[in-house]
This record gives sequence, structure tokens and C-alpha cells, in this order.
Amino acid sequence: MSRPTTESTWPFDLKAIVYNMAFFLNGLLLFLLVFEEQFTVPGWLQPLGRLHPLVLHFPLVVLLLYAFWVLLVEKPDSVRWHQQLSEMLLLLGVFTAVIAAFSGFILSHEAGYEGETLFWHKWLGIWISVGSAAWFGLIRYLPPWKLYAKLVAGSMVVALLIGGHLGGNLTHGEDFLTGAFLPSKEDTPRVAMEQAFVYEHLVQPVLEQKCYSCHNDQKAKGELRMQTQDLLLKGGKNGILWDTTQANLGLLISRLHLPIDDKKHMPPRGKPQLTDEEVVLLAAWVKGGSRFDQKVAELEATDPVYAYAQKVIGGDRQQDHYDFEAASADQIAKLNTSYRLIAPLATGSPALAVNFYNRAQFKASDIQDILPLKEQVVSMDLSKMPIKDEDLKLVGQFTQLRTLILNFTDLQGTSLGELSGLAHMKLLSLSGTAVKSQHLEPLKRLPALQKVFVWSTGISPQELAQLKWPNGPEFQSGFDGDTVVIALTPPVIENEKTFLKRGTQVSLRHQIPGVSMRYTLDGSEPDSLLANLYKGPITIDKNTNLKVKAFKPGWLGSAKRDKLFLIAGQPIDSVRLLYEPEKKYSALGAAALNDGIKSDAAMGSGKWLGYRNTDFGAMLHFDKPVTLSSVTLSMFRKLDSYIFPPVKIEVWGGPDEEHLKRLKVIQVDVPKEKSLNMSNISYTTDFPSQDLSCIKVMAYPLSKLPVWHPGKGEKAWIFIDELLVN
Amino acid sequence: MEKQVFDFGMNTTRRHFLSKMSLGIGSAALGSLLVPDIFKGGEADPSDIIAGLPHFAPKAKRIIYLFQNGAPSQLDLFDYKPMLNKMHGEELPESIRGGQRLTGMTANQASFPLAGSMFNFKQHGKSGAWISELLPYTAGIVDDLCFVKSLNTDAINHDPALTFFQTGAQVGNRPSMGAWLSYGLGSENKNLPGYCVLLSRGKGNGQGVYSKLWTNGFLDSVHQGVQFSSGENPVLYLGDPEGMDRTQRRNMLDKLAELNQGTLDEFGDPEIATKIQQYEMAFRMQTAVPEITDMSKEPESIVKLYGPECLVPGTYAANCLLARKLSEQGVRFIQLYHQGWDGHGKLPQEIRGQCMDSDQASAALVTDLKQRGLLDETLVIWGGEFGRTNYCQGKLEKDDYGRDHHPRAFTVWMAGGGIKPGMVYGETDEFGYNIVKNPVHVHDFHATILNQMGLDHEKLVFKHQGRRYRLTDVAGKIVKDIIA
Repeated sequence: MSRPTTESTWPFDLKAIVYNMAFFLNGLLLFLLVFEEQFTVPGWLQPLGRLHPLVLHFPLVVLLLYAFWVLLVEKPDSVRWHQQLSEMLLLLGVFTAVIAAFSGFILSHEAGYEGETLFWHKWLGIWISVGSAAWFGLIRYLPPWKLYAKLVAGSMVVALLIGGHLGGNLTHGEDFLTGAFLPSKEDTPRVAMEQAFVYEHLVQPVLEQKCYSCHNDQKAKGELRMQTQDLLLKGGKNGILWDTTQANLGLLISRLHLPIDDKKHMPPRGKPQLTDEEVVLLAAWVKGGSRFDQKVAELEATDPVYAYAQKVIGGDRQQDHYDFEAASADQIAKLNTSYRLIAPLATGSPALAVNFYNRAQFKASDIQDILPLKEQVVSMDLSKMPIKDEDLKLVGQFTQLRTLILNFTDLQGTSLGELSGLAHMKLLSLSGTAVKSQHLEPLKRLPALQKVFVWSTGISPQELAQLKWPNGPEFQSGFDGDTVVIALTPPVIENEKTFLKRGTQVSLRHQIPGVSMRYTLDGSEPDSLLANLYKGPITIDKNTNLKVKAFKPGWLGSAKRDKLFLIAGQPIDSVRLLYEPEKKYSALGAAALNDGIKSDAAMGSGKWLGYRNTDFGAMLHFDKPVTLSSVTLSMFRKLDSYIFPPVKIEVWGGPDEEHLKRLKVIQVDVPKEKSLNMSNISYTTDFPSQDLSCIKVMAYPLSKLPVWHPGKGEKAWIFIDELLVN
Repeated sequence: MEKQVFDFGMNTTRRHFLSKMSLGIGSAALGSLLVPDIFKGGEADPSDIIAGLPHFAPKAKRIIYLFQNGAPSQLDLFDYKPMLNKMHGEELPESIRGGQRLTGMTANQASFPLAGSMFNFKQHGKSGAWISELLPYTAGIVDDLCFVKSLNTDAINHDPALTFFQTGAQVGNRPSMGAWLSYGLGSENKNLPGYCVLLSRGKGNGQGVYSKLWTNGFLDSVHQGVQFSSGENPVLYLGDPEGMDRTQRRNMLDKLAELNQGTLDEFGDPEIATKIQQYEMAFRMQTAVPEITDMSKEPESIVKLYGPECLVPGTYAANCLLARKLSEQGVRFIQLYHQGWDGHGKLPQEIRGQCMDSDQASAALVTDLKQRGLLDETLVIWGGEFGRTNYCQGKLEKDDYGRDHHPRAFTVWMAGGGIKPGMVYGETDEFGYNIVKNPVHVHDFHATILNQMGLDHEKLVFKHQGRRYRLTDVAGKIVKDIIA
């Protein structure tokens, strides 16, 4: 046994003791290696083996340190070199290396380590241990400034790095170091639900992520390897993996279910655990017979495996995959305007959807401007824009289009051929355009086309029925109103007021184009032939009941709409009621009669004066005498609510209340059974024109309802809301 | 020592200082590359959250929600229960009710006689869905619809149930569904509000509709629903006053925006930014809205499809037509409310009238979207805030009955927007009282709707007063079975 240096300053020769021990252990190690087959690790040595992951770091660092030191020294008298210190360093390396190698040797005999990686790691470790001891032994022949010393140091560095890396792979798995650069396993498997296999696309990825690192060819803990179907079926040291006759479904599943603190729980504490969903998946798969050939599509929708597949494979969120480059966000932002919205389909998606708004703002150059995005736009909605046939030339350049909506554009359809380069197009909507059947021919060249909407176009139902191309798209129409005959809505009478100044013009309107509106002013029913045809505003110069109806070929005539117009001529300066109205229908009292407001046709509107137990009487005063020739009462009838016309109306006039004479009396017939139930009505009393300062108006309610009425014999009501004098 | 310090100072040249500095800065720069947010400071910018949306490619771009306010009777429209006719007038078995709570209106009733529907049911379409004779038009489009017969809610009275349906919480002041969508996805058309509300009223017993149902809650007020007027002009005060032309208006707005911008720069109140945006939008709406109300671009058959009532502003049919036009113009969420479904008494009579209003126009809307190729990207939803009881409220008569509120099972239908067409999902017991298969809670319903719009309901959050809020609170499962 040679000693590298004779000089020692230590009290007792510690260096020699350490080196000798290392030498001894190396010898022992080599011995055991020779007889490895017969060697079994005694129980008490096991803890030493498990110290390997701790101890190995010492020689690794110390030997690297020494080797680099050697590599750095250039010349014999270098101040960087310290003989004694360097020797101590190397010795420390030698000693810890042999401990590490020895413990590693013991650990490798525990179950679960085998394979090529282990083989290389073991031999490299032993080489480092033995080699470093030899290095120490030869240290005086290897001064660091010599080339061959540097070669030795260099080879040691290489051995250390490779050996260390292999050891790391054994512990953490092959992909541990490079995992970040490998395609992520978390990625959704790129397979459609219809094609997916339960084992290959769902179960295997879980095993791969959570189990393979300890149960593979390199490291088969419990003698279990899981990478292939055969290996799974074979099971491990403790037997086969599943047993559906057991309640716990056998080893695999029961180990997953054990509490995490349990020694037998899998994966062991500290390793990535399975999620609850993954456990459910594996259990359901085992329970279903752990089949390797089952397809996801064969499962019931309620099966937990199916639910898991939907989540992982994305059955519920099938997204198209686009393989083109995204446009820059700046460019997209720049091309967005208030009337042209461009947005990606989803965050991070390169595919863009474009939508145009506001016909009035649209210019053909709006499409031209976004040509830089023609490789990205997959959906374009141009509905209602004034698109002409020639504009399709531009649209046809957007080769990635899947959806194109051209509803209610000005398209005639002559240039659909411009779209024939759109190889991805699935949905084309032409509804509301003038497209004709023969124009559709070029669409045959669109291989991906699935649906074409042609509702409300120039294509007749018969032509549509013939539009069936082999492997062609489905042509969809929609609601065809021709077979449905319904009544028009009545026209709208634009003037909402009832009390008008003489000569006011009233307009009619109808929302449906091409409707003819006919009206009468004399109270007769308007018909489609004889009644006045509305051509322009109607002038109202007397109290009028305007009745209108709408007509159009292909439709039933509308119901009648009517409106009473009363001429409010002379302002009344003051009104006084002679009798109180019934409390419930007292409105605003006398003031209601000259407020110029027409009450709603509803008795409860709160604007009607109602009389039943007393007559209606009102005294009208004018500050200066005025020339008058008529008084109009605006009233209401609703027979089923006991509101009847008055039986008699009297108008008195004179210079003051004391000197009134009766100017006019009207007798009103009691309505017959089945006559008009509800209506606004008016009674105008005409009398010879004369100057008056005071007028008295009386109206008498019916005292006994007629026999046909449910309330026969009872008193009737009268309702009044306005008095107009002219 | 002092001298050494001095010398060190004197010996440190500018070159030395800068080269050391650059090394230091270099390492900091490298560090900042590895820790991306380190120099960003403070809270994450909320606009970043928005920029991350939608979370995935949406199936539906827009929603039209035909809310049947007051709760239509599922037992007279969709959920056919011959058992109720068989046991008509007999007591609701306690085993079915199971002591579940009732409203104050019937809790004290001495008896709970079962009331079979007066109306005939038939199966329709390929899906074989049962539809009552009250809904002939809906029956005609069943193969486009997905009926969820197992919806259930937490609330038993109108206000909390409505609020729950619209905002995901029974108490007020949370953002409504439309506001969440506007927050999450923004407006599609910059010329119209992203969230519009249309009201109509049937002749049946009505319940109130309040603006809190379309509130933005704690979200920015730009996300609030805009209620359209039911008159001839859906948006009031939009026209320029007499004597002011477009250019003058433009100049006025520019000047005003300048002033507002100044104040915004000074105080940074986001509400001022909202204000500026809304003036701008109103300006653009001046041309966008007339385009929407214009009937001249509609084919004549549209009136026949929706029924002539669609020409009468403020009716349900007119609102359905308007909803289609708005949606075509890119309004993200259109919320209709049709009042009058609260059939506590005289239900057979009232529901007839309600169905006359709702049936044709609702079906027309689906057909109309479909024939324009837009049904795939538009989700239409029809339903109320809860269902109605299988027992009679008040006296059960030969041809008359009433039904109380029933939150435990009711029917809603959906069409388009990536929902499976021609499907009936969920099932109630033979008394139509409890759900026996595939229950769908309101939270689940919300989660599913958001999912169709490309939003993950667990990720669409807003932090307010120290807590993160979601439309689905802390619940909600996507109903995957009804997704196409």
C-alpha cells in the first residue's frame, strides 16, 4: 500500500486511515461484484442502500471540484495550486465515492431496478469509485500542469456527468430533464370522439403520466411493468392487476383507493397523484372488463368513461383546428371599424370572423381593405349590405372561408362562380337575394359545401325539389307565405287627437308595402271597390267618423279601424256642473268638459263623468258673446256595462243664465238588442246661428233598461267627457 | 480605512461604473424575462382578463331569451301527465309531495285536489315530444327544439325566482346574465347596445318586470341592458332636434368628448369613459336603429310567419320580430319578457290567450332564424321562472282550475346555438311533481348557456368588494347531454 505523500502535519495519519478505508471498501465492492449472483442484501444493510440518493452528491461535487482545479492550473509554480489542500480534496472525493458506489450497489439489489440504464449507471459508478482511488494513488505522477493529468481529470468529469445523469433518469424518469421540450402529454389527444379508443386515448395516457415512471423496463417496482397491454395483463410480483369478482376490483384499483398515508397507496406519497376523475375512469374501465379494443362511441352517454372522454377529448367542445398562421393583433385592430367587426373565433385562435353592419355606411372597398386577412377569415356575414355580383370577386379571394352569409344583399347571383375557389366553405346563405336556380351550378365545385340557404330567393319550390346533387349540399328553404292567407292588419291612423281644429289633415299608414287603403267619412263601411282610395292626407272640416280598411291581393281585407274626429271650434271660458256626477266617475269635475282631452275607450280611465241617479246638466259661459250654431257632446256607450246613450239632449242659450231659451232638443232611440256594444259616440245639436254668452246643456239617462238587457228595469248610466261648441 | 474608501471612489471610473451597471441591469433583465409579471406592478389589468375571452370557440354568438314572465303551466303545455287526468279531483298523495314547502297562497288550503290538464296532448316530430293543443305552431317545429323538462329553481315566489333566473342570485344587485355576457364578450355591433330588453304584456294575470332584472350590478354600467320602448320608436330621443343636422351633431359631440376627455384625464373615473362611448354609440344608433325598424327590407311572408300582430308595436309578436332583427345586427343578448302567465285562477281561459300571443311568434322566430342560416349561431330560449302545481289552487271545477307556483320541476325549451335539436331531456314523476331523471338546476342552465357562448362559467369572474363573483356563484354543471 503506497502512500502518495510522505509529509504529514496531522497529529495522527488521518489521511492514511481514510485512504486505506476507501481502498478496502473498493476491494470489497469489486469482490461482491464478482459474486453478485449469490449476493443477497442483509436486512441491516438496507438503510445504507437507501442513503445512496443522499451520499452520491458529495463525491459528485468534490470530484468535479478537484477535476476542474486540475484543469485550471497551467504551470508548475502557479499560485493557484495548493498541494496539500488539493490532496485532501481528492481524498474526500475518493472516500465519499466509494461510500456512494457501495450504497448504490446495495440499493440496486432492491426490487424494481433493472434494465440498461441501471447497468450503465452501476458500472460508471464503480469506475468512478475505483478510478478516483487509483487517481489518488498516482497523484504524485500526475502533477496538474501536465497534459495527461488534465486528460484524466477531463475523463473523470465526463464520467461523473454521464453517471449522474443516468442516476437522475432512474429516479425521476427518462423525460424528467427534457420534459419541458417534449410535446406536452396534457395536450388533448387529437382524435375525434367517434374514433377514440377507451384504452389508447383515455386509460393509457393516465398510466403514462402517473405510473410509468416506476413501472417500466428500467425500473419495474414490484416487478410490474405497465407500458404494453401484455405487460399489464401479466401483472407484477403480487399477481394480476384486476379482479372484477372482488368488490375492490383487484390490486390496481384498490391501491389507488387506499389512503395516501398507507404504505401500499399508489402512486406513493410524493409522486404525482391521480385526480378523482382519473381514478373513476380507471375503475370504470376495469369494471367494464378492462377491454383494450373498446371504442368510446360504443358507450352509453351516462357512462362515466364517456363523460371523461367528453372532457378530455372535447366531445362537447369540438373545435375546428386551423393550421394557418394568425394575423397580427395590431393589424386586426387597425382594420376594425364601427361598421366592420373583425374578431378571432376564440382566444388564441388564428381564425377570424368578420361582420359588416349598417347598409348606409357600406362601401365595396370595405371588403378590399381586409384582403390582408384573406388567409385568416373563416366566416363572413355581409347580410343586408349592398353587395353587387362583381363584389364576389373579392369575397372569392378569402380562401379559408367556412361560412358566408349574403342574406338580403343586392346579389343577382350571376357571379357565384367567383366563389368556386373556396375549398373549405361549408355554409352559404343566399336567403332574400334574387338568385335563380340556374345560378347555383358553380357551387358544385365547392367540395366541402354542406348547406345552402335559399329561402325567399328567385328559386321556386318546384326548382328546389329538383336541387339534389350527388354528394352535394343540402338546400334549405323556409317559410313560404304563399299558401297562407290571412287578414291584413288595419291601417294606422296617424293622428292621435280626437278634437281637431277645422281643416286639420289626417294621414294613414300601413307597414306592408303595396297595400291599398280605403276609407269613408260618412259612417258607412268601407269596401274594396267603392270607398275612397287613400292617396294623401284627408282634410277634416266637420265632425267625422273616419273608417278605414286595408286591401291587398293575396290577403284578406283588414278589419276596420275607425276614429272619431270632433271639431273644437270655440274655446269655452268656464263650465259649471248643475248636478254632481256619481262619485266613482267624477273625473276632474266640470273642468273635464273643456280640457280638450279625449278619454280612453275604457270606462275606468278616470276621465269620464258618469251620471245615473241624476241628469247631466252643464252651464257654459263666454266672456264675450260669440256666434254659435252647434253644440257637440262627446260620449261613450258600453251596453253590457249599463252605459247607454242618453234618451234626450237639450241645448238652451241666451245672454245670461236668467234668460235662456231652448235652442234644440234631440231624442235618441234606445239601442236594440245585439246593437254595437262599445263605442265612442257624439251628438251634435245644430241650431240657427246666433250670438250667445251662455249655454245650458242637458242630457237625460235612460231610467229603465230595456227588457232584453240583463239589468232590465234598472237605471242606465250616461258617460260624457267633452263639450264642443261651434 | 477612510483613505481606502476614498481611493476606491477615485479609482472607480465612469467606464468601470457603467460596465458594472450594465451587468447588473443585464441580470435584472434576464430575471424579468423569467418572471414575466415582475415589473407590471399592482393588480392585474382587468382589460387583460377580457382579452382572454372567449375561453374557447363559441357555438352560439347571440342569445334571444323569450322569457314567459309569471310562469307558464308546464302541465298544460309540455309535461303530459295522463295520471293527473285519471286521478282528477283526488288528493295529491303525501308520498309525492313529501312535505315540500308551498307558497302562502295554498299552504293553508284544506285539500290539494289533483288537476288534470283540460287540453289534449299529442306527440309531434321525430323526437315524439308531447305538446298540448294550445301550441300548434310550436308543435310544428319540435324537431328544432330541445325540451328540458327537469328544470328546477330555489325560489318559490316571482320576484326572487325571476331575479335568480336573470342574475344567478335571489337578492338583487348582481349583474344579470346579459350583463355578464356583455362584460365577457363585449358588443358585437358597435352601433347598438350589446344587451337589449323588450317588454310585452298578455291578457293573463300579470307579474311585474323590474329594471333590476337587466342591471349591470357591480359591473361597469356600459353592460346594463337597454330597455326598448314598446311604441313606434323603440329608442326614444334618438332623432336630431329640428334645425340640427348630422354635421352639427358630430361637431357638438366632438367638442363634448374633448371636454369629457379632459375631465377623465384629470380624475380617471371610468364612468366618464363610459359616457363618452355612449354618446358615440347613440350617434351611430341614429342610422342603425331606423334600419332595424324598417319593414321594407322584409319579405311579405314575414308578416304571415309571425302573424299580423307583429306589425303592432309593443306586442309579443312585434318584439319577436324586432329581436330577430336586432340579433341579425349583432346584438349579443336580447331579453324579451312577456307578462301574464301567472295562472292562479281561471288558468284554462288565461293560458289560451297567452298561447295565442306567444305560440306563433315564438315558433316563427326559430323558423325565421333557420331560413336565414342563423339558427346555428343563435340560441333561442323559451320559458318562465318556475312551473305550476299539479294540484288545484282554489276550487276545482268542471272546466276551471288554477295552479300555484311550483319550483321543483318545469319545462323550458331551447333551439339553435349548438343545443341538440329534437330532444327531450329530463323527466318528472307521473304526477309531474318531482324530477326523477336528469335534473337541471338554474345554475346548471346558466353554466350551459355560458358554455355555448364560449365562456367557462368558473372563469368568468369579477372581483367586487374583496370577493370574486360568478354568474353561477359556486355551483353549476354544464349539461353536456344536450349539447350537440
